[in-house]
Amino acid sequence: MWESVADFVVQGIVLGGLYALIAVGISLIFGVLDVINVAHGEFFAVGGYLVFASVVLMHLGPALGIAAATAGTFVLGLAVYPLLLAPLRRRLGRRPFGPLYLVLTLGLSTFMQNGLLALAGGEYLQIPPHVRGILDLPFTSVSYQRLLVLATAAMLLGGLFAFLKLHRYGLAVRAVAQDPDAAQSVGIVLGRVFGLTLALGVALAGASGALMAPLFNVYPAVGFPLTVKAFAITIVGGMGNLVGALIAALALGVVESLAVMVIPSQWQNAIAFAAMIGVLLVRPQGLLGRAVAR
Amino acid sequence: MSRARRALALGAAAVMLAGALPLIVPHPFVLTIATQALIWALLAASWDLLSGYTGQISFGHAGFFLVGAYAAATVTKHAGVSPWAGLVVGTLVAGLIGLAVGFPALRLRGHYLALVTLGFAEIIRLTAQNWMSLTGGPFGIYDYRTFPGLPVEPLAHRRAAYWVVLAIVAASIAVMVKTCEHTPAAKAFRAIREDEVLAATLGIHTTAYKLLAFGLSAGFAGLAGTLYAYYIVLVSPTVGAVGTTSLAIGMAVFGGLGTIWGPVAGALLLYGLNEALRFVGVVYNLIVVGLILMLFVIFVPRGLAGAVASGPRGRRRAAARAGGERALGTTGN
Amino acid sequence: MSLAIEALHAGYGDLEILQGASIRVAPGQIVGLIGPNGAGKSTLLKTVFGYLRARAGRVEFDGHDLVGRRPDQILALGMSYLAQTGGLFPEMTVHENLGLGGFTLESARRRREALEELYTRFPLLYERRRQMAGSLSGGEQRILAVARALMVRPHLMLLDEPTAALAPRFIDRVYDTILALNRSGIALLIAEQNVEMILAAAHHVFVLDLGQNAFDGAPADLRESAQIRRLYLGDA
Repeated sequence: MWESVADFVVQGIVLGGLYALIAVGISLIFGVLDVINVAHGEFFAVGGYLVFASVVLMHLGPALGIAAATAGTFVLGLAVYPLLLAPLRRRLGRRPFGPLYLVLTLGLSTFMQNGLLALAGGEYLQIPPHVRGILDLPFTSVSYQRLLVLATAAMLLGGLFAFLKLHRYGLAVRAVAQDPDAAQSVGIVLGRVFGLTLALGVALAGASGALMAPLFNVYPAVGFPLTVKAFAITIVGGMGNLVGALIAALALGVVESLAVMVIPSQWQNAIAFAAMIGVLLVRPQGLLGRAVAR
Repeated sequence: MSRARRALALGAAAVMLAGALPLIVPHPFVLTIATQALIWALLAASWDLLSGYTGQISFGHAGFFLVGAYAAATVTKHAGVSPWAGLVVGTLVAGLIGLAVGFPALRLRGHYLALVTLGFAEIIRLTAQNWMSLTGGPFGIYDYRTFPGLPVEPLAHRRAAYWVVLAIVAASIAVMVKTCEHTPAAKAFRAIREDEVLAATLGIHTTAYKLLAFGLSAGFAGLAGTLYAYYIVLVSPTVGAVGTTSLAIGMAVFGGLGTIWGPVAGALLLYGLNEALRFVGVVYNLIVVGLILMLFVIFVPRGLAGAVASGPRGRRRAAARAGGERALGTTGN
Repeated sequence: MSLAIEALHAGYGDLEILQGASIRVAPGQIVGLIGPNGAGKSTLLKTVFGYLRARAGRVEFDGHDLVGRRPDQILALGMSYLAQTGGLFPEMTVHENLGLGGFTLESARRRREALEELYTRFPLLYERRRQMAGSLSGGEQRILAVARALMVRPHLMLLDEPTAALAPRFIDRVYDTILALNRSGIALLIAEQNVEMILAAAHHVFVLDLGQNAFDGAPADLRESAQIRRLYLGDA
């Protein structure tokens, strides 16, 4: 029995790592731009398609493929703020009307999903594992593919946190999240920070899409269920709170994984939503609270 | 002619024109599209009542739609209930679910409210997908009666079904418009949307009216679901996916939030556009929908109705409304 | 180093707050801006610094036209701004806050130099440099905000009610700092509710009412006019 538990825990941690990459991105974007990016999962799908193109079509090898997918998603993400969000912001002026931004990203989500469908077709694309082989641990074993996901996720998230803590522009991002007016008063240009933050957030999603492609297959709608679940995770952890998103993501991954031992597997997905509803009713600011008060 | 009288006249004219459609274009395919467009119109309008008028943004209307559809299909298939009664059952069940969702969500605003309704809708969808014994699982429910008493010949059948749906949708829209424009609820809804705290201090029972909005909105969304169930004679979990909600929201934004008739027009136009584009290529239609949604939100956020209201009289009315907003906004030093 | 504002119109949305205000700040001057609530004092400062777009009128600083420029561009011309409330990053340390004040400086080395200068000038901040800005007292936070605005070595500073919500003992300290800044050559345009303090410190005072100029002159002249005293200085 303990072997199974260890199995599930390990799988849960890997799943949690995947969730973390997506949830942290959403939380970051919300914390800085005050926008909920409904289209986030579509960037996950884009990452998957880019890695497919690099690895299967161009034979670039997994490392390069994942890097290309992440970079490509980042570049695509850079276009979103200036083209879509900025015009709306100019129009709305200083009055934030959140729902309109939600609807905008909803439109982007529809556009991107169906755009992918049009460009690449609807078949499930297969990608060979990035690495092969199994690692044997005391209680269980885990595939190197899954370890790669975990290691890369840890590296990317670590890199993000380091950037936010140490780099001049990372501090600018945090500053804008805490007080956009004060950030402007020290000469930070909000538009640039918004654009950068959005690109960083979706790049994480793209990276996770590239990492998971061998496990999930790649198709246009692959990202959306993850987006919805990531919303739930960020609410549980506290919207805008990156550490909260990370912890909630890992926790959910493990809980979901262990839950198959007690509930039918189809109900796994409901756990996240039940947790979200519970948190919203009892402690709306999330378990760890919003990192920044507005 | 007073505004209300004129609106009534316009509405009656529109319904009569719509009613004449099967006589003008007696093509079964066109009728099918028109019927489904009407069902979407009802769904979009129901969303507008809650989100456009009362400002409670719902991302979960697909859930209410699904509940209505499944409730109706279930009672008709398993309890032999007549579809006419099934309409009522579906509406009531959906309305109750709406209250159930609205009650815990009373304290939430904006993003959080939207996400909790999304969560509920997903739970509803997952229930439909996984609870095989109750809902038939991923295959859904089929093999039940449609409206009795309709002619058997295909074209006549579709024509009759179209008229039934038109009558029900028109009546529902009328009820919604009346509620949102000519009853005490109208002012309450608007006040809650503009500034809920202020509304409460002015003595408006915000809790009661918010619940009313939730219940009505969910009920009408459920009614749309039952109409769908009896028209298509198949309900499956995919109907409750977020895509349904986003299409309804798109139609409402396109048509103009906070007007009821705007979303109706938006739904009819967008659905018609959607289907027309299908002839161009199966996938491009939704791309255009997404594009329209984005462009409208940015450039025409008040939708078609807003563009119509931009005439001089509309501007004066808008300014008066804005005056209220201003009074509640911040003034600088 | 001189600021000229002429017939400025600005506001929020449909609301027009400034209806043609004109202000002048000569090099090295302390200029006070007083008036009732809603008169447009904050709005004026925000418009000058580029937070709001002027709808009509001119703003000229050292020969540069400021209308339509972004805050970061205006900062680069040598003007910095202190908000009425907030203005700090409460979840960052004192050191990080100060560092951000130098965001626009060309190099990390310049930033370090500026930081050292300010730590020397404000040893209290050096002591507290690892503390979260949000945990400082009101007065200390205000000093931090002032210090941060000094990172770019401005010629002119816009202060929006620098003593708002401060305990009396902090008000004196803040004004001591302000006067010291002026002695080192920085011009100051200060919007103030605390009329006594600003009359004591300023070289010239403008009175704004309903978005327009109501009066201007030296503090002594204001004190002498009974009408001004009654309307704006709170005398019965």
